[in-house]
Formats: sequence, structure tokens, C-alpha cells
Amino acid sequence: MNHWIQQHPLTFAGLLLWAIGIILLMPARNGASKRPSPVALGLTGAGLAAFLAGFGRTDAALVPELLFWIFSVGALAGGVLMITARNPVYGALWFAVTTLCTCGLFLTQSAPFLAAATVIVYAGAVIVTFLFVIMLARQSGSAGYDQKSQNAVVACISAFLLIGAITKTLQTTSVDFPRPVIASAEDQKLSGSAENAAAEEDSEPKQESAGTSAAGLAMSSTSVQLADPEDLAVAAATPAPVPNQLSKADANTPVGSLRGLGRSLFSDYLFAVELAGTLLLVASIGAIAIAPRREEGAL
Amino acid sequence: MNSSTPMTPEELRTLMVAAGLFILGAIGFITRRNLILLVLSAELMLHGVSLSLVTFGRIHQTAEGQAFTIFVLTVAACEAGLALSLVLSLYRQVHSLDIRLWTELREPDVQQPPSDDSGDSSSPESAYVGIPRLTPAGIAPRAVPGEASTTRA
Repeated sequence: MNHWIQQHPLTFAGLLLWAIGIILLMPARNGASKRPSPVALGLTGAGLAAFLAGFGRTDAALVPELLFWIFSVGALAGGVLMITARNPVYGALWFAVTTLCTCGLFLTQSAPFLAAATVIVYAGAVIVTFLFVIMLARQSGSAGYDQKSQNAVVACISAFLLIGAITKTLQTTSVDFPRPVIASAEDQKLSGSAENAAAEEDSEPKQESAGTSAAGLAMSSTSVQLADPEDLAVAAATPAPVPNQLSKADANTPVGSLRGLGRSLFSDYLFAVELAGTLLLVASIGAIAIAPRREEGAL
Repeated sequence: MNSSTPMTPEELRTLMVAAGLFILGAIGFITRRNLILLVLSAELMLHGVSLSLVTFGRIHQTAEGQAFTIFVLTVAACEAGLALSLVLSLYRQVHSLDIRLWTELREPDVQQPPSDDSGDSSSPESAYVGIPRLTPAGIAPRAVPGEASTTRA
């Protein structure tokens, strides 16, 4: 613990400042302050920046670096302002900002379809309905319960202990977890027909296809590492049982491609997709049944 | 088949942003008293989980992380719909979104939370008199006697 703090002072100080800033930003118990104090805002911002800067420099290019900073700072700052908003309408709007920034982070993590789907579902449906309900249930003036928070100090301490533990675990575990190598088309051909390889009459076209698939790999994904031939031979000799083989990315479907996502969803997780559809149906029926009827009177 | 490489700094910091979103949602869920903000805080926690899943999927080079995130999205949509109708029906009974009005489900040995709504709010909920309604206007529709009798029969 002490060792970790000495190694990452910036991260630790950032977490501490962030927690103190959130405690100060929370709606006060006496309800005296209508708007957040600039000191608390500055503390939170400084803590956030120190927390993010504490992870060291990366060797990414300028534009991905810039995009990451914009989206992550936007997401976290929007989240802070959402949970400390005095007005629930502003809270919902800050939640929309956080959602959009999270979609930007999805894009940087090579998930373009998810980014689009999240924008449509959240910004298009969830936020709008929440705003409707807030304005429907809203009287003139601000309600008293929005001006006071409960258990702010205890909640912040426990939550930041949690994120501190996560940070320390992620930073200090030196697990070299096995990073899968994307199997090329050549590899699949080898593993699929090992006995045909013994007969081996067309070595010339195979070489050609290996060259093209390697070029496709280098173009499609940046983090692909080509396995050396000994590993390929071992893999062909003893094909390991891989669960959910169709979810793995390969040369034709890099991670994040719509093709790979659809293949995973509708092959490995087909039953779960059906269950999700049933869940949507049941939830919509339940929501209609629970919601107050019009003949029961207005709100 | 497998080559070992540690997590890159990009993946590490994206995971930490996801953890930050999660704990922000947790803090909001515990501290706020507005029912709608509670539901929004739960959605914020789901955002953090989704970002983690996407990053894990990218680390392991599979589409499973994104497939799971689609299920998270589905469950979040169901949860939002159900939560909104629950909030509406709760609001109909007490005309307030305060979570402290719903403490009857607590364990019997847990003490009642202090009721601190002692007149320090700018406009308390008791000022509620009802939503204004439109006054009836226009011509009343003419009733056709034969039609009414046929519908009754």
C-alpha cells in the first residue's frame, strides 16, 4: 500500500482531491448554497486531471490521445456534475453529456456500432422520457429533497476506497495475461485439414494465400501479432477446445466490425438474444401494466 | 499460440475511466434523494460496466465484450421503462419524488432516517395544490338519441 502510494503519488493525490471535491460539491445539508462553489469545482477538476495524468504517458499519436482526453474528462466531469446537480433537469442533461462522451470512448475502443446504438437508445429514448417525467412531476420552485443529500461523506469514502483498490490492483498486478493471437486464414486451414497437409501437393497457392492473409492482417488491425510457424504447427497438431470460437476475431473480422459482432450474437449467443427479446416484451408489458391509467386521474 | 504482453497504458486508463463512472454512479445512488436521479445514477453505473466490457473485449480480441454490452443495453432499456412507470405510480400516491417517504420496507431494527424537511427548503412539497386544468370550451357535441339507444342495446 505505502509502496504503491510512493510509486503513484499523482494518482493517489488525484483520487483524494476528487473525493474531497465531490463531498464539497454535494448539495449541503442546510441547503444554503444554491450553486456549487468554485473552490469545490476546482478541487474536483484538479483531482480528475491528476488521476488521469497519473497513468503515465502513452506512445499513442496526438489525435487518439486528444480524443481520449476530451472524452474521458467529459464523461467523468459530466458524471460529477450529474450526481451533484441541484436541479434534476440539469442532472439529466449532464447525464446526456456523459453518455455522449462514453460513446466517444466506445469509438476509441473500436466499437462503432455500440457507440451508435448507445446514442440512439440513451440520448434518443431514455433521456427524453426521463426529462418528460421530471417535468411532469415537477412543481414550481425546487423541491427540498433536491437540496439535501444523505450520507455524502460515508458514500464518498467507501466509493473512493473501491476505486483506489481497483486502481492499485490494475496497476500493480504484473500478470502477463495471454493475449490471443488472431488466427489467420492459413492457420484455420492448417488446423482444419491436418491430414490433407500430409498429402501436400499444392504448396504454391498456399504460400500465396499466406502472403495475402498476412497483408490483410496488417491492414485490418494494428495490434495483431503474427505467430511464428512453430506455434502454428503445435496448434495444428493439438487443436485446443476454444469456447465460443465464432466470437474470436480473425483476419476477415477484426474486433469491432459489425460482421464479427453479428456473428457472435447470432451464433454463440443466439439463445441469449432470444431471452433478451423476451425480456423486452415482458418489461414493456409490465411497464404498461404498472403505469397509472388515465382514468385513475392526473398526476 | 499465445504471446504474453502486459496491458497497455491506453487500456489501463480506459478501464480506470470506466471504474470512475461506476463509482460516480454508486455515490449518486447512495447520496441523492430524488427517485429519478437514483435511476439515472444506476444507468451511469451501467455505462461504466459497458465501457469495461468493451475494453476487455478489445484486450482479448473477441467480439464477446461488445455482445455482452448489447445485452447490458437491452437490460438498461427495460430497467429504464419499468423504473419510470414505478416512479410515476409512486409519485401519484405521495406527490413527491423523495425517496425518504418510502421507508416502510426497511428492516424493523433499522432506525427511521431523520426527517429533516423542517421548513428550510425554498418551496416545500406541501405547497402543491394540483396541476391546473384547461377550462371546458367550445360546443358540446350533440347527442344523437337513436345512436345512444343502439349502443346501449
